[in-house]
Amino acid sequence: MNPKPARDQQPILSARDIVNRFGRQQVHDRISLDVLPGEVLGIAGGSGSGKSVLLKTLTGLRRPDAGQVTLDGKPIDSIQPAEKACLIGVLFQQGALFSSLSVAQNIMLPMREHTDLPAKEQEAIAAMKLELAGLSSDVAVKVPSELSGGMVKRAALARALALDPQILFLDEPTSDLDPLTAGGIDALIGKLNHSLGVTVVIVTHDLNTLFSICQRVAVLVDGKLTIDTLEGLMHSDQPWIHAFLHGPRAQGALSARKRKHGNG
Amino acid sequence: MDKDCTYPAAPTLAIQGEGDRLALDGVLDIHTLTQATDALSRWAKKERAGHDGRALDLKRLSGLDTPGALLLRRLGEQGVELTNARAEHKALLGLIGELELTPLRHPAAVRRWRQLVIQLGKGADEAWHDARDVVAFVGRAANALGRALITPHGLRLPSISRQVAETGVDALPVIGLMAIMISVVIGYQGVAQLRPYGGEDFTINLVAVSMFREMGVLITAIMVAGRSGSAFTAEIGVMKAREEVDALKVMGMDAMNVLVVPRLIGLVITLPLLTFYSDVMGLVGGWVISQSLLHVSPLQYVDRVHHALAGSDLLVGLIKAPIFGFLIAVIGCMHGLRVTGSAASVGRETTRAVVAAIFVVIVLDALFSILFEKLGL
Repeated sequence: MNPKPARDQQPILSARDIVNRFGRQQVHDRISLDVLPGEVLGIAGGSGSGKSVLLKTLTGLRRPDAGQVTLDGKPIDSIQPAEKACLIGVLFQQGALFSSLSVAQNIMLPMREHTDLPAKEQEAIAAMKLELAGLSSDVAVKVPSELSGGMVKRAALARALALDPQILFLDEPTSDLDPLTAGGIDALIGKLNHSLGVTVVIVTHDLNTLFSICQRVAVLVDGKLTIDTLEGLMHSDQPWIHAFLHGPRAQGALSARKRKHGNG
Repeated sequence: MDKDCTYPAAPTLAIQGEGDRLALDGVLDIHTLTQATDALSRWAKKERAGHDGRALDLKRLSGLDTPGALLLRRLGEQGVELTNARAEHKALLGLIGELELTPLRHPAAVRRWRQLVIQLGKGADEAWHDARDVVAFVGRAANALGRALITPHGLRLPSISRQVAETGVDALPVIGLMAIMISVVIGYQGVAQLRPYGGEDFTINLVAVSMFREMGVLITAIMVAGRSGSAFTAEIGVMKAREEVDALKVMGMDAMNVLVVPRLIGLVITLPLLTFYSDVMGLVGGWVISQSLLHVSPLQYVDRVHHALAGSDLLVGLIKAPIFGFLIAVIGCMHGLRVTGSAASVGRETTRAVVAAIFVVIVLDALFSILFEKLGL
């Protein structure tokens, strides 16, 4: 279903020898990672394994203690804020919608800041992004505190998509959601990747997300990163990865994947 | 301000051809959208009168994003045929094409005079509810306090001592400094105003009496309201927002007993002590002034203060302190418990708590002044 990422293409985002420390604790031990254009990459790992820190490093929010992140061929620190806003969109774990603005204003904010579109056009685009994220336009006038958990994620996704970024970073997009809503979010991410061609990096420990939409998965264990397709990871003898992918929950997610992909 | 993204290099779009058939060459994205919208909508309108054979060729379109696709969808709805779209653009156009688009709703605008009336009504309603809340809360707090005092094993001593340390001991430096500064200010004014009458020596009386009766307790209460009253609101408010208060309730503990009473008792103990401390620091400030402006020796200064002050001066100041402490704590805790949901609400309630506490302290102080005057104290 998903377009195959071209393996020979230049990575759109690459991290080299990333080291992150908090005091004595080393969270990332010389991690390297390439994200290819058009792919959906999952980043998994146990609680406290440094997934969110890695996401902050990849988006340039945190300067790593050593190593470098390159986005679109340029060191991420050297990219101008306006250009960066057009390159990456981030869905934060709690949505991070601005509580003083309505949903529509949240989505229009990056457009207002970085483009010179007339207000009317911005509204039409915001309405489209809302629809794209699966929300009706009634939601537009609401403020974030009036939204349910799933609606917050969708509205935040609409805001992350506001400038049609090349890479979409999603931090636990399905956490705190019921399975049906979470499944809807998964399907939405797959659809956006397929039809917008947007590259997606998902930090998650939701096995269903990993199994249903991620083409490659990077697993963080003990500060090291193991990157492979899920099929490859299934045969990993790393104890944590083995337990993660062969536990009872994984079996459920796996059988769902088999049903969906026709035993593939 | 930088208004455009220069990625990759500013994308460009050329519109070629004429008459019914146009072709797009370049990138149709959010940056070239304004240009494209202007040109193409004019074209679509102008040609509408003619026939249905208008077509837009997309063969040389190298980049397309969702706003661009939205524009193309609108043109399509106006009867323009989109030809030769690339496969990846077709997918995007398909996605945008099947969305059910409805314009954003705007909240109905209200006339200005009506808005004024509505705000007035809302404000009055809120004030009424506020007043009722305050009275009810003071009653509940007093009730809980009374019950805690009759059953001493219900008193949470560690909690109370922590409150005394945080609201009292930690406040000593700042309150001491403020008291010295205020008495220096009063001293300077006193010397300047009394010197023409040859009565500048009475500055010592002025400083000592005004610090003991009014200024000591007042600046202490205001400082504590700003420092601890706000802290109470923020602490309890965050607990409320994170459902910690509900967790207490479920575990059979009353927020009133666990959170409010220790803070109340703490502040009722602390504020009189701080007031006395600030009185003493005020005398230190007065001594600085009398040394430098009046050239009075320390022993003489102590003697003058001894004659100037009566026991009732100290009492008048100190008797107000526990009442102020009680009210500051009640207002702080009440606003904390009124926090709902969001973090913004914590900030709003904290501001309200500080304003209300300082207001109440000053109004009550004025009433006390009148009362003590009538009582002849």
